[in-house]
Amino acid sequence: MFKRLALAALTLWLLSVLIFAGGHLLPGNVGRAMLGPFADPKAVEVLNHQMGMDRPVLVQYADWISGFLTGDLGQSYAYRSPVAPFLGVALQNSAKLASVAFVLVVPLGIFGGVAAALYRGRAADRILSVVGLSATVVPEFVSGIVLILIFGVWLRWFPISATWKRDAGVFDQLYHLILPSIPLVLILFGYIARMARAGMIEALEADYTRTAVLKGLPYSKVIWRHVLRNALLPTISVIATQTVYLIGGLVVIEILFHYQGIGSLIYTAAKKKDFPMLQAGVMAIGALFALTTLLADLLYARLNPRIRFGGRE
Amino acid sequence: MAINYKLLDLLRRGRTPHENHLIDGLVRGAVSRREFLRYGSVLGLSAPVLGGLSGALGFGLSTATARAGTPGGTIRYGQIVPAAAIDPVKIADGGGITVLSQVGETLVLSAPDLSAQPLLAESWSPNADGTVWTFKLRKGVKFHNGKGMTADDVVATFDRLSDPANGSNALSVFTGMLSKGGTKKVDDLTVAFHLDAANGNFPYAVSTDNYNSVIIPAEFPANYEATMIGTGPFKLEKYTAKVGASFVRNTDYWGTPALPDRVEATFYDDYQPQILALQGGEIDVIQQIPVLQAAGLLSDPGFTIIATPSSAHEQVHMRNDADPFKDKRVRQAIALCLDRPKLAQGLMRGKAQLGNDSPFMPAYPSTDKTVAQRALDLAKAKQLMAAAGMKDGFKTTLTTEKYLEIPDYAVLIQNAVKEIGGDIKLNIMDQGAYYGDAVPGKSPWLDSDMGITDYGHRGVPNVFLQAPLLSTGTWNSAHFNNAEYDTLAKGYIAALDLEAQKATAGKIQTLLLDQTPVLFSYFYDFLTVTKAGAAGVVPTAMGHLMLGQASL
Repeated sequence: MFKRLALAALTLWLLSVLIFAGGHLLPGNVGRAMLGPFADPKAVEVLNHQMGMDRPVLVQYADWISGFLTGDLGQSYAYRSPVAPFLGVALQNSAKLASVAFVLVVPLGIFGGVAAALYRGRAADRILSVVGLSATVVPEFVSGIVLILIFGVWLRWFPISATWKRDAGVFDQLYHLILPSIPLVLILFGYIARMARAGMIEALEADYTRTAVLKGLPYSKVIWRHVLRNALLPTISVIATQTVYLIGGLVVIEILFHYQGIGSLIYTAAKKKDFPMLQAGVMAIGALFALTTLLADLLYARLNPRIRFGGRE
Repeated sequence: MAINYKLLDLLRRGRTPHENHLIDGLVRGAVSRREFLRYGSVLGLSAPVLGGLSGALGFGLSTATARAGTPGGTIRYGQIVPAAAIDPVKIADGGGITVLSQVGETLVLSAPDLSAQPLLAESWSPNADGTVWTFKLRKGVKFHNGKGMTADDVVATFDRLSDPANGSNALSVFTGMLSKGGTKKVDDLTVAFHLDAANGNFPYAVSTDNYNSVIIPAEFPANYEATMIGTGPFKLEKYTAKVGASFVRNTDYWGTPALPDRVEATFYDDYQPQILALQGGEIDVIQQIPVLQAAGLLSDPGFTIIATPSSAHEQVHMRNDADPFKDKRVRQAIALCLDRPKLAQGLMRGKAQLGNDSPFMPAYPSTDKTVAQRALDLAKAKQLMAAAGMKDGFKTTLTTEKYLEIPDYAVLIQNAVKEIGGDIKLNIMDQGAYYGDAVPGKSPWLDSDMGITDYGHRGVPNVFLQAPLLSTGTWNSAHFNNAEYDTLAKGYIAALDLEAQKATAGKIQTLLLDQTPVLFSYFYDFLTVTKAGAAGVVPTAMGHLMLGQASL
């Protein structure tokens, strides 16, 4: 456990060096990016000085990382105000959208995969596989636009913009999040269902399942107790890695549905060379990745006695 | 045309020599009525005088009566998210300009027809050589905090903008024109600008064209974004960075009170979501949209497209100091390969004016329209190539940025010059990489043999004539170095009357057609979209969106 945490910390430190170096060593300068190519060189120089961009890179890094460790995420260059509130709102929004998508897709995906495996080779299996696979390969900007055109512009059942009015209640927020979460469900459904199906089939063919059936256990009990528990282990790792995608990788969905999440925060920060914002966003995603991987490992161990006890040998 | 000399004499009284010279031009027919109205406004002739003069000469001044809209309600508009904090000194992006235009006002309005109209200044006039411009301020203007606007606020605003220590974005306009301390209070409602060099178009430098020059109280708020104090028809209600803003009617406004009770701005990262939001009825206006993105809306009866002529364009530079473009005949040949009407139609759906290889677009009043338009002529192009000893063609690389229609334009140029044996390789890069550090040696924009660069709108061609074309110009990517041009350009900028400007413009146009350092093949319109039935929405090609008299 300690080793794992240390490894996660090391990964995050490496990430901080990479993202900082990437931003500062690439060509182009911040003042210029902010004022545009046609700005007066004097104005650019003054702005760079105001932001401390003319100090040595190592000093800037030390300054940033020490602030970061003490909880000071720095000031955004573009908005000239602290990064933390922006990051907080973005993370919160992303978490909301991810939760809605997650709650929809995980049961659907697992159920679809299990059903396909149980009816392997039959029509239900074929339909689920083909639909799942087709949905996965449709990019989210295509499915998103189609959904907006049908349900937002034409039928007007759902709002086009996922950003709700100030002081909106939980249900209103949920209502705004349904449309943008559907493309995510479409993409992830096939993936999760296929993993679940493969795991199920493997478990169904395993010796312990045959033993359980032969010893006379009711079929439903065999599936519930013996098959599912073993079959879903790989699916859990898949879901864990997709959680990070759901939170940090939704640039396209966030822009299309006009939603202020962490994906579009990082994207616009990168475009504008707003390094403090970019660094904080990337570090947040990195930390999240480390955390979900750790949680998935723990959950995996919880479900898999071989790992749970194996580590103590 | 019946000239009423009696009335004319009456109106001439008290006019300055420059103003009378302009009137002479109108009487002689050297200046058209439209040019007279526009240029008269630059010199500070008031609308009643302009109307009276053109009336005395037998021209009726049609006073455009705006359709009176219904007061009340909320106008919801979409715009691209501002790139930075809203700070009038530093703002440099279209998104920021649009937000600022809800609350702030300049001394002069550069109207959609490119005329200079009084805004916070009631009138203005130059001294004899155009080095001192005196502005009379409007009486009874109040800032949103209730304080009255005086000459002190105006002086403080311009000292702030022209001070190199402030990182002011307006320096790109004021450097060499107006220095800190050059703005002087005459009395509480009069300000004199003492310029570094004579300038016949100075009112545009304190107009909406120079969007940083909104008048802000002398005691500049430390965090401008929190209050957005200005003098405009709307006051800030709430601003949420990256998300949107709302504004309410300013009941103390000096002019006609705003029709809408509220204005709601929503910020978007891209155009597609704005189109969808407009189609879905979530917003009423899209502040600006590139023509390629608007294609689907152009023929939709549910929406109205407002096309504002602008001087925004793409400059195609060729290195005048290096092969294969050293010989001007090669540059001319390339220019002759372009089918401009087709380019304007194909790339801009016809929402563009043709360019004639100089910054003088047809809509500028000083443009000499007798200079012949360059057209496609492959036979002549081949002759020129042969005369230049380049019958077998040439090889070069065209470096440019991935922005709007530029990559498509690059491909069209690449194909067009194949006719004369031109072999162009394309190097299309990210915008940031293309501009680089924006200094020679560290910028593909300024160093490449051939390139395409986008230039935003300007109400007068002064900036286009200087930075990219003067031998000392800081954006001279063509490395054009022509002493005669330098003299002519300086003469144009100093010229105080339209006839002199026009004469110099004609010479510049002819010289640039001959030298062809840079290709200007079209100037594209600025498009704003509203839902059908909306009225009173006034955009400028600079990015302002004036909604004071808007109704749905």
